[in-house]
Amino acid sequence: MVSKLTHLQVELLEALLESGLTKETLIKALSEAEPYGLQSESQRAINALQSEKGEPCPDIPNLPNGMGEPRVSEDETSDDGEEFTPPIMKELENLSPEEAAHQKAVVERLLQEDPWRVAKMVKSYLQQHNIPQREVVDTTGLNQSHLSQHLNKGTPMKTQKRAALYTWYVRKQREVAQQFTHAGQGILTDEPMGDDLPTKKGRRNRFKWGPASQQILFQAYERQKNPSKEEREALVEECNRAECIQRGVSPSQAQGLGSNLVTEVRVYNWFANRRKEEAFRHKLAMDTFSGPQPTSAPPLTPHSSSSLQPPPALSPSKVHGVRYNQQPASEAESSSSNHHGNSSMVTTQTILQQVSPPGLEPSQNLLSTDTKLVSAPGGTLPPVSTLTALHSLEQSPHTLSQQTQNLIMASLPGVMAIGAGETPSLAPAFTNTGASTLVIGLASTQPQSVPVINSMGSSLTTLQPVQFSQQLHPSYQQPLMQQVQSHINQSPFMATMAQIQNPHALYGPKSEVTQYTHAGLLPQTMVITDTANLSALTNLTPTKQAFTPDSETHTESGMHTPVSQAPTIHLQNQDTTIQHLQPGPRLTSSPAVSSSSLVLYQSSDSTNSHSQLLSSTHNVIETFISTQMASSTQ
Amino acid sequence: MAGKAHRLSTEEREQLLPNLQAVGWKEVEGRDAIFKEFHFKDFNRAFGFMTRVALQAEKLDHHPEWFNVYNKVHITLSTHDCGGLSERDINLASFIEQVAASLS
Repeated sequence: MVSKLTHLQVELLEALLESGLTKETLIKALSEAEPYGLQSESQRAINALQSEKGEPCPDIPNLPNGMGEPRVSEDETSDDGEEFTPPIMKELENLSPEEAAHQKAVVERLLQEDPWRVAKMVKSYLQQHNIPQREVVDTTGLNQSHLSQHLNKGTPMKTQKRAALYTWYVRKQREVAQQFTHAGQGILTDEPMGDDLPTKKGRRNRFKWGPASQQILFQAYERQKNPSKEEREALVEECNRAECIQRGVSPSQAQGLGSNLVTEVRVYNWFANRRKEEAFRHKLAMDTFSGPQPTSAPPLTPHSSSSLQPPPALSPSKVHGVRYNQQPASEAESSSSNHHGNSSMVTTQTILQQVSPPGLEPSQNLLSTDTKLVSAPGGTLPPVSTLTALHSLEQSPHTLSQQTQNLIMASLPGVMAIGAGETPSLAPAFTNTGASTLVIGLASTQPQSVPVINSMGSSLTTLQPVQFSQQLHPSYQQPLMQQVQSHINQSPFMATMAQIQNPHALYGPKSEVTQYTHAGLLPQTMVITDTANLSALTNLTPTKQAFTPDSETHTESGMHTPVSQAPTIHLQNQDTTIQHLQPGPRLTSSPAVSSSSLVLYQSSDSTNSHSQLLSSTHNVIETFISTQMASSTQ
Repeated sequence: MAGKAHRLSTEEREQLLPNLQAVGWKEVEGRDAIFKEFHFKDFNRAFGFMTRVALQAEKLDHHPEWFNVYNKVHITLSTHDCGGLSERDINLASFIEQVAASLS
């Protein structure tokens, strides 16, 4: 009968039973305790007792329906069992009043603090433990949109609702702590982690990969795409250890991860999905490479409000596609395609990854082949959620200059299209978080007005059409070509890195957040809602590219060449600005360009790019590399 | 608070204590209390015993003074309200004996 109980537990159980506690009462008490953990259960039981005595229930904060009702119902059931429960209730009562009072005190304190600060705390806790917002919403009864806005953007929330949130937070922390401490022993009650109300369809939270695990997996994927069972199990251990460490818990308590526990099956599925993803990317690249499509793909996604001219987005995607072909191992891609809004894959997250040099060459060839990229065929999308979309490719430009430009331009938006809610596994430095929406507007390279469109997810903004003069291309092209050719990795990467704002720089006090979301340029070219991702991206830059220092110098030199041209270009293209950003740990601010300008940021000099982004308020896309370089030269 | 908090008279002591003393309860020197040491096989049993006693103590609202080290439990019973032995102590002692017997 003793399954996983220690002898002491058995003894205590027997003691309880012998003390007059019936089995049914005990079981009922335990089942009622499951959703909220034994502590809160004891609180409720006590409240039930108190209510029976006619006393107020001070321990229950005024919670909205989501929390109030279940408690009410549970109170009633507790009342029924009161005859039989007093012993255990009294025992629990000894613990819970203090705990309840303590909890209330903590909640009060949080309520008095700066709401934004607390929101950040809560949000980071959610991220750290990979808790879906849904769980919070279910237990607190808050509106999910409101909650998300409050946590991410600091949208104000009324005190009562915040009280509910903080109460959940405090309780959850204790629950999780209990979970982890019980992890090694096996617990009588089900793990509350991931379960707010098990009665609600008996559902546990959906498993979600944490950034630490994803990093490990991507590295393993690069080594070998098809790991054996032993290797998978090794990865399981490694991932769980990493997840525990991320949560600040000893790795031996991995069971406390609950619904986010990594198992072999999950690892197996992950690898299978990545392989499928890659095959699909390959297929897309093949398609775009082989089949010239005369039609200009209409914007597919609803997000692209402005008409997306065919050429613009294609080449980048194509480039990316080719690159991806070259780099089967490299996982994440910037989904430039996403930007074009063609893809139904908009929701897929794109991962920014290093593109190998060889990939670039063929891509250039590709570009010159005048093939038009197929706009994302709706039905060919693989079911893999994290597939970075190459599919929304469009026709490639005909001229090399265009191509180049497209390349550059495309790479800009290519960086990130991240559907809300999920970030692609950008292996190395990506800190995965919930709603990451990195939207990068793509400036088309067409001489005609080309809309730069962010077709990504929720925070998409449509860019205004970009006017490029032909002159732009050649001059632009050359330095770009130089860069491109000499620093293959660099330019696509940098392009992709463009418009990435360093989340760290931004993700600070509320004002910062507000600021960058308001940045004129940003809505145009890039909206980054998930600073964590950005930071990952920025981290990615240096880690992924060993050549960065070299590239910097190169780029700079390359940059300087067009300097003379830049002004011309600049003058000619006043209305569009594309910003190339290569964020480092901090974005360098290029104050020179007030509007979003296409700038190649060489390195991560802190504030420049950041402020530049922020300061830019015009929908001006111009090739501004040189200027940028000059100003941001580090 | 349960009744029976009055200090035991001499007759009552003569009546009730011998039963307890027969099983090993001793009177404490210098205070009006009774004391006994219990030994168990291991800590689990000892603590199981203590748990049962604790639950009962809560029910009776009368708590022992006790000490535990691993498998040993020293219990001293006395009533604070009356400054000495009372019926509550006798009751609890009886219960303790019952539990100890069932556990050993």
